[in-house]
Amino acid sequence: MAADLTTIGVVSLYFLGMLAIGAWTSKKIKNTEDYLVAGRSLGFWVFVLLMIGTVCSGMSLLGVSGLGYKVGWPTIWEQIFVPLSIGFCVIFFGVKLHNVAKTSGYMTVQDYLAHRYESPVALRSLAAVAGIIVSLIYLVGQYTAIAIVLMWLFEIPLWLALLIATLVTMVYTAIGGLYAVAWASLIQSFILIIGVIVMAPIIIFYAGGFTHVNEVMTSINPNLVMPWMPSGAFAVPYIFSFAILLMIGLACAPHVINNVLSIKDVKFFKWAPLAAFLIYGAAMFLLKFTGFAGITMVKEGIFKLPAVTNAQDYVILYGIQYSIPTIAFWGIFAVIVLAAVMSTTDRLMLTIGAMVSWDLYKKVLKPDAPDKTVLLLSKIVVVLSAFGTMILAINPPEMLAILIWMGIGVMLSTFAVPLLAGLYWRGATRQGALAAMSLGLASSLVFGFLNYFKVVFAGVDFAKIPLHFSFYAFVIAIIAMSVVSMATRKTAEKVLDETQTGWYISKQ
Amino acid sequence: MFGLPDITILTVGITIVIAIAALLYWGLTFKGHD
Repeated sequence: MAADLTTIGVVSLYFLGMLAIGAWTSKKIKNTEDYLVAGRSLGFWVFVLLMIGTVCSGMSLLGVSGLGYKVGWPTIWEQIFVPLSIGFCVIFFGVKLHNVAKTSGYMTVQDYLAHRYESPVALRSLAAVAGIIVSLIYLVGQYTAIAIVLMWLFEIPLWLALLIATLVTMVYTAIGGLYAVAWASLIQSFILIIGVIVMAPIIIFYAGGFTHVNEVMTSINPNLVMPWMPSGAFAVPYIFSFAILLMIGLACAPHVINNVLSIKDVKFFKWAPLAAFLIYGAAMFLLKFTGFAGITMVKEGIFKLPAVTNAQDYVILYGIQYSIPTIAFWGIFAVIVLAAVMSTTDRLMLTIGAMVSWDLYKKVLKPDAPDKTVLLLSKIVVVLSAFGTMILAINPPEMLAILIWMGIGVMLSTFAVPLLAGLYWRGATRQGALAAMSLGLASSLVFGFLNYFKVVFAGVDFAKIPLHFSFYAFVIAIIAMSVVSMATRKTAEKVLDETQTGWYISKQ
Repeated sequence: MFGLPDITILTVGITIVIAIAALLYWGLTFKGHD
């Protein structure tokens, strides 16, 4: 389809709005703390919608309905455990990190890891480098989603679609830091939620209604309306590992967890988990139902999906196109998807900027670097990461596609154990954290490749392993942390007290 | 109901209720301090 002037106008207005937010928030930036953690000043709703915007990526929009189209109701657990990841992050990471950060002045989660594990160079560097790599990979995946929508809407070449989206996101992120990202997310998440709540019911209604959609799915394959598949992917064991992956993996992803350092008052953590779950959950359920509606619409010949390998990712685009013939709505829908993609890409770029300028440059390479230099470097890295990933997204190497697919799994295996053990187990040591992080990262890559390439090794068919590949790496990281920590010297009691380490969330 | 088997409504419904109850409990009991 080719966009008309109304669509171009709606999308342009949205882009201008984002740039205006960048210009407005850039005046608030006085130092690195303002840039990286928004001066620790975010209010309740800005924080809740920042968390929703960060977690809800472009692939959430295209991928959620796509997965629903492909596998049906057994994938509905995604709509419960992704929204729960915000609550998990706030409750199990946020409260302690925020409280300790007040006295210790953490700018990034790597600051916490360096402090808690008495490892100002080794663990900080490993965590930062691992964080930069997984964030870059995730960022390329986001640009792929943005390209799908812009190319569909405007019939423009991939490079131009990517360039437009990259330029806008890069400009407001680079000049306004987390202030811009947070305020942009407020608008983006609002657009996203309202947009999905308005448009999804129209698509479901057009497909014949919720009950009819479920009946058609039953007639195609009764397993499509069951809560789990009888075997293989989305059978009960797989769903269990999938729930861990989504809830904990997303919660400890560098671009998500760093948000907890920017809140103004810890009391905002009281109702943020429930608010985020209800708002985001409602939107995500509706999105999944549009995927189900797509099954009916394709079955009844209303539309055909394109003959591409990721055809299911187009289901919501075609659903909109056929159920809402008013062209103006397509522009609004494009803005919804752009909002979802940009609310994640901006946070990812800023996280990469923080890890390079703060963790690697200021804390490892040049501790006496003035604040102005660190701030400037943060901005430069935001620009470089935007263009670097854009170039990768234009012509992604085959290896990259596999890494994007591994995305959250690698985050879970790398960061969850050092963070959870660091916060709640006084016996966790520096060597244990280094072992857990490096083995978790390495084993998740190994299991991911074996699973992706359907390798059969030592009698094990890795294409048919009963759990998500990341769960095996997660268990290896737990074992590494436990065994190595018990065999090595304990962390100083003073540090454990300073970092509020122990089997509690908050000392009340 | 809604063209769905009872087991789907029950398992998904119960999980959602448990999740909301847990987050509600957190909200009612967390005091926090700054």
